[in-house]
Amino acid sequence: MANVHSNTSTGATVTAPKVVTPDTAFTVQCRVLHALILRELKSRYGNRRLGFLWALIEPLLFISIFVAGFHLLGRGSQGGLPAPLFFVAGFSPFFLFRDVFSQVKSGAQGHQTLLMFPQVTRIDLLIAKVIVNSLVSISVFLVLMVGLYCIGYHYNIDNPIGVLIGFALMISIGLGMGLVFGAIAIRYEFISSITNPILGRPLFLTSGLFFSASMLPPKAREICLYNPLLHCIEYIRSSLFVGFDSRYVDLQYVSIFALVLVSFGLMLLGFFERQRK
Amino acid sequence: MIALENVTKSYGIGDRTHRVLDNISFSFPYRKSVGILGANGAGKSTLIRIIGGADRPDTGRVVRTSRLSWPMGYSGGFQGNMTGRENARFVARIYGSPYEEVERKTNEFAELGKYFDRPLSNYSAGMKSRFAMSLSYALDFDYYLVDEALETGDARLKEKFRQIFKQRRQTSSVILVSHNEQTIRKNCDVATVLHEGKLHYFDDLDDAFTMYRKLLFKKSAA
Repeated sequence: MANVHSNTSTGATVTAPKVVTPDTAFTVQCRVLHALILRELKSRYGNRRLGFLWALIEPLLFISIFVAGFHLLGRGSQGGLPAPLFFVAGFSPFFLFRDVFSQVKSGAQGHQTLLMFPQVTRIDLLIAKVIVNSLVSISVFLVLMVGLYCIGYHYNIDNPIGVLIGFALMISIGLGMGLVFGAIAIRYEFISSITNPILGRPLFLTSGLFFSASMLPPKAREICLYNPLLHCIEYIRSSLFVGFDSRYVDLQYVSIFALVLVSFGLMLLGFFERQRK
Repeated sequence: MIALENVTKSYGIGDRTHRVLDNISFSFPYRKSVGILGANGAGKSTLIRIIGGADRPDTGRVVRTSRLSWPMGYSGGFQGNMTGRENARFVARIYGSPYEEVERKTNEFAELGKYFDRPLSNYSAGMKSRFAMSLSYALDFDYYLVDEALETGDARLKEKFRQIFKQRRQTSSVILVSHNEQTIRKNCDVATVLHEGKLHYFDDLDDAFTMYRKLLFKKSAA
């Protein structure tokens, strides 16, 4: 490898190369991810007076509004659960999905100034974003759950591993969708601005944030069950709360859906990478 | 080692494709300062983006087994709401260097004083480029990637950076991209000319300039 270029003169000025410590690609990537994650946390939450509290405020606001709304309608419970628990278990994972989706989409599509550092790759940036979003959203979820327990909404967590699996699947679907639409948006920019109205809204309404699958009329249920997010949220609820009906959850469908989506997204990103201006 | 292996890069879509880099293979020599001359539009920026990893080649690959700097003077990758120190720490981390030392050296070179602990968005343009350049000197690279601008600050600082650069040329390699003959003559040992997607190598600077002038002349005559 030393003589790729034959014209290189080998005069006296060329001394032996410095001894380079051979960093493997893996150590370099770990180093980069570590730095990116710290930087992302720092620049997002570090310099604000309230920092992490900001991350709590949005879901808290949404959930309060819906709990209050349902309360006014005379419904203190939903799907056999107290309304606050029902909504927290739905909104938290959905917001995580939404944030991962939008961050990965813009990260895949846009010009990223951090790429000026030779060892930083686009994939590193995306991984770091997904990790930071997941950490923050899951912490917010935990804080809300503990908070509810403390103010008197008692529950026994049925299957903690199941909760994690549910969140992981939500993250993967967000990642996959972000990759697919971000990649397409490199070439067709308008895609980026229409994903919210044509995808975000319908998903918001059909992912079981306000209802559980068993409450739907059979026809509507059949359609909604094509939405993998509904399966995830149902699964998270049933893993969290003993007795929540989960007979409609099909984890195999969701896993295959997520796997296909992420692979397809990576493929598209490779394809459209060349068309980046 | 920093080397290009069969690197090709095109821009545009369909039949309007323009091949900017055409199957280039080149190994940048150790401890030499290599100039890359190219007219406007020859693909210099593309080449520097590919060497530095900001862009990926369509085919072929770039081997980077040595510590390579980011394009010197670029400050786009720094975060405006983080301080100089925090930015220096981030960069030290991705290069795996001890960050206390990098922070100390950076401030020593840049002479930013208490501004070092202020957010980068408070810096003037001159301070920002001084910071970027000092940070790259603090990291002690094997290869310095330089895009045109090497000079920054007032006369005294200019001289200081010139001295540092001179020292670094003894121990490190430099890849300098420019359209200016004088810049290359002052800073380089050997030169290449980038023309129509190919990289032509010359041991002797004057041979490179002869070719470059011929190309420029032909272009303006046409």
